[in-house]
Amino acid sequence: MSSSIIRNSQHNIGFICTGQQCDAGLGDKLAMRWISPRFERQDFTFSELDRFSNKFANILQSVGVGAGEVIFTFLPKSTEHFFAFLGSLKAQCITGTLFSNFGEDALLDRLGDSKARLVVTRKSLYRKIERIRDQLPHLKTVILTDVAEHSSDDVLSWNKLMAEASEKFTTPCTAPETPSVLHYTSGSTGKPKGVLHRHGSILHQNRTTREVLGLLPEDLFWCTADQGWVTGTSYGIIGPWSLGVTQIHFAGGYSAHSWFELLQNEGVTVWYTAPTALRMLMREEQSLFREFDLSLLRCIFSVGEPLNPEVISWGRETLGKDVFDTWFQTETGGIMIANHPSLPIRSGSMGIPVSGIEPAILGDDGTVLADDMHGNLCIREGWDSMFITYLSNDTAYSSKFKKGWYHTGDMAWRDKDGYYWFLGRSDDVINTSGHLVSPFEVESALLELPEIVESGVIGAPDELLFEKVVAFVNFHPGVDFTPEMELNIRLHIANRLSSVAIPQEVIQVESVPKNKSGKIMRRVLKARYLGQDVGDISTLEE
Amino acid sequence: MTNLNELEPIFRKVFDDDSILLQRETTSDDIEEWDSLTHMNLVVALELSFKIKFALGELQKLKNVGEMLDLINRKLGK
Repeated sequence: MSSSIIRNSQHNIGFICTGQQCDAGLGDKLAMRWISPRFERQDFTFSELDRFSNKFANILQSVGVGAGEVIFTFLPKSTEHFFAFLGSLKAQCITGTLFSNFGEDALLDRLGDSKARLVVTRKSLYRKIERIRDQLPHLKTVILTDVAEHSSDDVLSWNKLMAEASEKFTTPCTAPETPSVLHYTSGSTGKPKGVLHRHGSILHQNRTTREVLGLLPEDLFWCTADQGWVTGTSYGIIGPWSLGVTQIHFAGGYSAHSWFELLQNEGVTVWYTAPTALRMLMREEQSLFREFDLSLLRCIFSVGEPLNPEVISWGRETLGKDVFDTWFQTETGGIMIANHPSLPIRSGSMGIPVSGIEPAILGDDGTVLADDMHGNLCIREGWDSMFITYLSNDTAYSSKFKKGWYHTGDMAWRDKDGYYWFLGRSDDVINTSGHLVSPFEVESALLELPEIVESGVIGAPDELLFEKVVAFVNFHPGVDFTPEMELNIRLHIANRLSSVAIPQEVIQVESVPKNKSGKIMRRVLKARYLGQDVGDISTLEE
Repeated sequence: MTNLNELEPIFRKVFDDDSILLQRETTSDDIEEWDSLTHMNLVVALELSFKIKFALGELQKLKNVGEMLDLINRKLGK
């Protein structure tokens, strides 16, 4: 399929976002305004993005990491993230991004499964990798962004390498099928799976950035997502820069005042954020928002969890703006279903399919269901940003496709006007603040604590987080469930897995319900927690 | 009077980082793992260590660790 962004069959994401923009005369245009937590500003033109990412591509070659090999960034929000991401794609490496709050177990799963060859990180985060490095035989090189000198032959200084690297690099012509970006995602069973994308995904990311987010050349775009997650790469890097659009990136955390100061003072025109952040804003003193002039802000978009109608009403009443919900998954690589300004918003709906995407609601037997019927949300396979495999897990990949349909794992229905409405997950995966958490991973991590005999983990509805992680634990006889013990549990999960997996509630139980084959019956735990009928428990272990 | 030396081991345990060195000016932006979720762990750890209680959102208003220390000392009546 031809597209205006593809020249001479070059599909390389790194090149299209940088060198191609320079070739189009945008070399001197501001690509990124980097704003530190203390509001220091650093500007980068497309020409600088191109040169810095070229340097990183040359660094990869100099340390012997080549096409098809996996590299990761494991960084807090920082400029190096972008140069490493784009540079490694130019070198046709598979480029993964790791959320900076991942703990050792989460890192070991991802770095080990992918056989990662190189990680770019900071000194303070490297200590987590150091503790597991003897279990990572494929990891040959670590680059630290905050040390002046190389620490050893395989722990190198970013600054020194960048200072010495050439800024000239010829990006090989890259076919659309070439593997590109890798993000891990959690399932209800087993370890996290490596969702692998391809360079051809840029066609869909570019199209949806134009057609859904509506970005124009003169826009200033702000996507608040961390680059550790798919939104942060698909729409915090690829989509806008493939269009030559200027972005701001803010390294600080959530603060209503700081965020609105940025929106106003920087003149952000399109803002892409998350429902949890919007719900946190709703809890602020509403007079705060009257201090700010948001007249330049044209659109607000949201992604990650369903956007409740209250947020849309709040946006209209308090900010005088509509908030448009969008839906996609790590596996889809880009927005599939969306509300956007050219459509009347139906509060609470996911919106309608974006161009080139054919969703359907299927019954469990695979038949397409009529409007208004509840079923499995599926997407006709073959879209440009469709993932190409789960790394080293073809069986799991195949299981997601049936008769030409990708099964998303979400349940939904469609109304007679073609709007889709989210109902929930068909599995036990927990969506907390837009991040998927595997109950299995949390249960396994809990069992590492010597005081715990068995554990069961569910997602429960939460006004702020959409779903919260709730852990049920059965302690060994003689163990007291004290506040100190609860804190230990929370810290253990934060440090082994990630802050997003921390149980918001820990509940002591005398046993965790299991079926006769030993599988934890999370639906029973959930029903009990919610005070609902537990349903059929004929398979419950006695 | 509680001082930074007493806070440091708590921060190191909560954020799993033995290299943390606190100053009065330290903020959440200076500690990689300090986000809104791990912040709740910090609140609980401080409450348990000093046997005090923070009101909802009380710590969110503080600008830095120095102000946190002052608040703890006020609660301890020091």
